[in-house]
Amino acid sequence: MATRRFELAMSPHVGATQTTRKIMFDVVIALLPALAAATWFFGPRALLIVVLSAATAVVAEYLCLKFMKRPVSFALDGSAIVTGMLLAYNLPSGVPLWLPVIGTAFAIVVGKQAFGGIGHNIVNPALLGRAFLMASFPILMTAGWVAPDAWNSSEDIAWGTSGIVQEQLSTIPMADAISGATPLNVLKQTFDLDASAQNAHNEGNTAEALSLEERADGIRSALYSKSTYINLLIGRTGGCLGETSVILLLVGAIYLVMRGVLELRLPISYLGTVAVLAWVFGGSGWFNGDPLFHVLAGGVILGGIFMVSDMVTTPVTPKGRIIFGIGAGLLTMVIRRWGGYPEGCSYSILLMNLVTPLIDKLTLPRVFGEVKKNG
Amino acid sequence: MIKARSFKGGIHPPGNKYLSSKQPITRLPAPETVWVPLCQHMGVPSKPTVSKGDKVTTGQEIGSQNGFISLPTHSPVNGTVKSVENFPMPHRRTGPCVVIETESEDGGQVFEKWDDYSSHSPAEITERIKLAGVCGMGGASFPTYVKLSPPPDKNIDTLIINGIECEPYLTADHRLMLENPDDIILGMEILAYTLGVENCLLGIEINKPDAIKIMDEKGCCVLPLKVSYPQGAEKQLIDAATGREVPAGGLPLDVGVVVQNVGTAAAVAKAVRDGEPSLRRIITLTGRGVISPANYDACVGTLFSDLIGKSGGYTEDVKRLISGGPMMGMSLYTDGVPVTKGTSGVLALTDDEVRDVVESPCIRCGKCVDVCPLRLIPNLIALAAENEKWKLAEEFGALNCMACGTCSYVCPAGRYLVHYIKKAQDAIRANKGKEA
Repeated sequence: MATRRFELAMSPHVGATQTTRKIMFDVVIALLPALAAATWFFGPRALLIVVLSAATAVVAEYLCLKFMKRPVSFALDGSAIVTGMLLAYNLPSGVPLWLPVIGTAFAIVVGKQAFGGIGHNIVNPALLGRAFLMASFPILMTAGWVAPDAWNSSEDIAWGTSGIVQEQLSTIPMADAISGATPLNVLKQTFDLDASAQNAHNEGNTAEALSLEERADGIRSALYSKSTYINLLIGRTGGCLGETSVILLLVGAIYLVMRGVLELRLPISYLGTVAVLAWVFGGSGWFNGDPLFHVLAGGVILGGIFMVSDMVTTPVTPKGRIIFGIGAGLLTMVIRRWGGYPEGCSYSILLMNLVTPLIDKLTLPRVFGEVKKNG
Repeated sequence: MIKARSFKGGIHPPGNKYLSSKQPITRLPAPETVWVPLCQHMGVPSKPTVSKGDKVTTGQEIGSQNGFISLPTHSPVNGTVKSVENFPMPHRRTGPCVVIETESEDGGQVFEKWDDYSSHSPAEITERIKLAGVCGMGGASFPTYVKLSPPPDKNIDTLIINGIECEPYLTADHRLMLENPDDIILGMEILAYTLGVENCLLGIEINKPDAIKIMDEKGCCVLPLKVSYPQGAEKQLIDAATGREVPAGGLPLDVGVVVQNVGTAAAVAKAVRDGEPSLRRIITLTGRGVISPANYDACVGTLFSDLIGKSGGYTEDVKRLISGGPMMGMSLYTDGVPVTKGTSGVLALTDDEVRDVVESPCIRCGKCVDVCPLRLIPNLIALAAENEKWKLAEEFGALNCMACGTCSYVCPAGRYLVHYIKKAQDAIRANKGKEA
């Protein structure tokens, strides 16, 4: 009996069943409802883009690990698939098929593996990939907006080019027309109209100023309407693949919360900040913005659930997470209102990713039994 | 009943207490040979006072106290000393043991019986508890008399008896409360009298309603506590019971509290009322790696292999042997180690029970931060420790860690957080020693 030898190990000897791989595949599962919506509204091409992107991510990860002589099993831990899917979710469905391949490869090689692989990347690789594509192929990245159901009616996929937006603007109010371009694009145009009206007013051309203002207000009232909200909720709207259906994204979020993967401090502080600031300055003046529209439109829900709460690139302290959410929400709304892009979600998160270590250091919780130090 | 209290943070590992919680305590006779460790308490080992060939009697002092944080050691049996030698220990690599060939077990009463403790002064009682070699029986084995001798500037107003047993699997304290509540209550009274405190609480987790009921019926002031690991950690217990935070780096006395385990209270009762030194303790032998889990009342110096032999042996798939609970216990390579006063459990775990994950990089999920009962940043301490950035590790709270293992338990990457943090603690302390 005494000759039996037992395995030696560090305490604790028992542990939770959750693993990194399970978390990553939970995220993949949570992304699937939105993929179904994308396929329904934008056609099989959307599905193709997502699959292509995820496959590229795994292959790129595998090659990197092989090259660096690290365990290649990491390529199958699910994190690469998540990156690939999220990048694809941030593309319009009309992009050429080589675009997601290049973007994902960049995201994995430069955004993730160059920093040391899983757990070591500083910024969200999917968002970095998107930023890379936006900077390198701006026309392709914005020209490919597809109207939902366009593949059914065999319309040209160039629905959302700026000419068509202009056309729509001239014919609005007409709620259905909104769907061609992204709703945030249309909102951005109304701000341009506001600016023109202000110019006309300054030049003394009051009549034109009034008519321009009237048009801007007309468009906005069409935007801030029940039918728009419903379209945004179910996903009948132009925009990136993954951000289309708010309801199905929320289904994914509920799944993640149930699985103990999604920590609610980040999404709630982020979406809350976007909503409050949308009301404060998201409209034409002060305190008349439409919080619901800003939260539902564009990638805020997608970003709030899947990117703001990306574990690796956000703070670990409880207070730090709230600060991160608020900071990202603030930047999103500033970019939407005054920036050059109609959508500010991804850049705001990328910028906040960079200050994550700083936030962690400044928000260390008070250790049990320790007297709060000043500063 | 009052609402169960708790602390912030913590986890809920599967208790698995049902394996042994229904097994009554079985008194095991002393084995043919006992290996009595001279260091069953925290602090300096006692000095052997016997040598090879000496006859010893039950309760006789075989090792004398050697410093303030130290205790005397007593022989649990009548017999002959075979040798004094180093032997594998449950918590250290090896330690000095007095090996005794057992002849019989009679006797044990070596001090005067005090039927009425209150006719003796607190100082006399403290001295008795010291001479009887009573130490904390919850796991850390701190000499009990030291806790009863607070510096004069500390005003102690609360005594908390710890019957929480938050470690999964273990049921020794639970069975003791069910089967011997009178000794615990007498021990509580003696401890309260010695400390001069009025306020005396018995903390029990609400997963032991039968124990709460019995102790409550006996007139004990029971404090029901939520089931959460590590509810039984001294600082967390004090926080839950009184709302006081023991200062970082401080002791319970700093907030006017003394905490003692239920087993310690029972040992105190024996020492004072019966005049018997601390020779035996209750041990839970459990895990799916043993055929029949049990609660034993065994004398110190009994080998783990003796306990397992008595219970019916291991199952085929036993993998890990642990002294203590699964959260903080030490894994052993052999079962040839002796029971000490601090051995609360012997666990034989199978492949299915132990967590077997390959360590992967931290994904900064922050779960360890959310559950840490001391509000540390375990993942960042571990990262700093891996890179030998000791200053940074200290900044994230490394020195406060009590190694409860809550962080490692939840870590999805299977990181050896406790290991890294202990490594950081050693390095930080070593560097401080150099600077001083």
